[in-house]
Amino acid sequence: MKKRSLGTNIMLYTLLTIWAFICLFPFYWMITTSFKRPLDVNRVPRYIPFVDYQPTTDHWKFLLVDEQAKTVRYFRNSLIAGLTSCVFSVILGSMAGYGLSRFRYYWSRLGWRNDNIAFWIISQRFLPPAAVVIPFLLFFNFLRLIDTHVGLILAYTAFNIPFSVWIMRDFFNSLPIDLEESARVDGATRWQTFARIVIPLSTPGLVTVALFSFIFAWNEYLFALMLTNFEAITMPVYLAGMKSTKGIEWWYMSALSLIMVTPVMLIGLFLQRYIVRGLAAGALKG
Amino acid sequence: MGNLADLKPLSKENQTILESGEDRLFKRLFLSPAVIILLILSILPLLWSLGVSITTCQRTAAQGVQAAPSLGSALCLGNPADLSLANYARVPTDSRLLNAAKNTLFYVVAGVALQYVIGFGLALMLNQDFRGQRFYRIIFLLPMMLTPVATGYVGRMMFDSGISPLAQLQRTIGTFLTPIVGQKVTISIPWLTDTSTAPWTIILLDSWQWIPFMTLLLLAGMQSIPEEIYEAARVDGATRFRLLRSITFPILLPISLTAILIRSLEMFKIVDVINVVTGGGPGSATESLVMYVFDTALSYGNYGYAAAIGLVLLILVIVFATLFLAFSRRLTRRQLGT
Repeated sequence: MKKRSLGTNIMLYTLLTIWAFICLFPFYWMITTSFKRPLDVNRVPRYIPFVDYQPTTDHWKFLLVDEQAKTVRYFRNSLIAGLTSCVFSVILGSMAGYGLSRFRYYWSRLGWRNDNIAFWIISQRFLPPAAVVIPFLLFFNFLRLIDTHVGLILAYTAFNIPFSVWIMRDFFNSLPIDLEESARVDGATRWQTFARIVIPLSTPGLVTVALFSFIFAWNEYLFALMLTNFEAITMPVYLAGMKSTKGIEWWYMSALSLIMVTPVMLIGLFLQRYIVRGLAAGALKG
Repeated sequence: MGNLADLKPLSKENQTILESGEDRLFKRLFLSPAVIILLILSILPLLWSLGVSITTCQRTAAQGVQAAPSLGSALCLGNPADLSLANYARVPTDSRLLNAAKNTLFYVVAGVALQYVIGFGLALMLNQDFRGQRFYRIIFLLPMMLTPVATGYVGRMMFDSGISPLAQLQRTIGTFLTPIVGQKVTISIPWLTDTSTAPWTIILLDSWQWIPFMTLLLLAGMQSIPEEIYEAARVDGATRFRLLRSITFPILLPISLTAILIRSLEMFKIVDVINVVTGGGPGSATESLVMYVFDTALSYGNYGYAAAIGLVLLILVIVFATLFLAFSRRLTRRQLGT
């Protein structure tokens, strides 16, 4: 490695630090705002607690104690929609991914083989949800599924399947087949091979898929907005609704955003490499 | 989300187990559930959407709060009286729709370009050897973790013309410059309130959130380039810029194209940030197509037209993706040729 000159080094660190500041400042601002009194928010910006404003925990108390029922309910709704759809898309995705990786399909009517099927599945991912939201609305309305968890879970599972099939197929393709074959020779059924041997070996792929499915559902806004009214509202919709009557109540919104970002951030920090793998899936081979 | 730009026919690495009778059952069992779900929850709604878009279906008829609706009218289907091509006749003359389409394309082109350039620069920096690399990499990732809705709110706090730190910074610079210039200087950039700057502000916010995506992908690509290639080029006396132009950039081209495609297709769906930051305003300067869809459906209850707009969006996406794939094939091929 060539040594850099002092000047280059200074420039590198300056640029990096400027960008780090850009990344961090909004978070700092959210954290401080959630402890500011309305007056300290609505006039001029206040920067440092105890120096130019007196922090208060009222807003956190309001959200976590007074309004606890609401906060907990919406948080739980988000968790339910996120986790359930995540479980479904992991199961269905890994099954289909395994099928596409290990068997030879031929859909004679369409003349499609494995790669055509896989391409068709992944192309679903780029379908803008807005193009199908109306039928969802009508159909769920008809089935009385509006404002239920079931509606959101179904929708999110459908959106996540393409991605999980794609990742899992890639993953299974990279798994050597020998182990499965020897298990088969020893008399294990196809399903046993899949459940006892393949799945335990695929943990990294499964974690990636689970993470992405969960985060997608956790942040999803459009369908949550269209398909829920009151009971099943998820955090993003609740958060977006904060701008209602008295203008935006910045302090609640900041606190809620922080509550929302916490699970994702924990996941992200501890499982960073899975996220990188998911983002880079397939792209690195080309 | 693989490399769509370079989809190969049945690859050699695709190992296949020889099939016995029992396997034929499992073969179906593995693939069918996912395919069935996609058919029911993705293909069917799409066709249905097509059907709804050629009706004048309205919310009252569909919800049937007043009168018990027939199955057909509740689902916006099969009521011949409703059939009409009026929605599509309206498309080319609807200035709000055209404007929303223009905005959406602007977000895709300008936004993704900005994200790619900055993301590439950051990846180059993170790819150097220096102390604290891990630390910076984690910090650079953080914006991606915030919910887009929250990003929108934070963006409003940052760009508000009264209470934001940015506004104060502008004022401070103004008062600082006043004695120097000799006349009163006011720097006021109407970040969110001017029709020409507001779309850029939206792009800035979206970029803040998604540059990490570009950085991460490109960095992963850079780290997979073997050091020997650089060494060899350096021995030949290549400059730093030459290394970037002739090695890093070409090798990263496929990843770059994939990243740009993925980001663009995501950008077509942009709605949450805009909804929170400007609500589509001022006027309709920042409104995106997806916003127009849900506004038409929720505020006006015009399901037929909302479905039609959704399909216009889909057509835009398909045209864009097709052109982009053709373009990237040509680009990659030309590069392989030289």
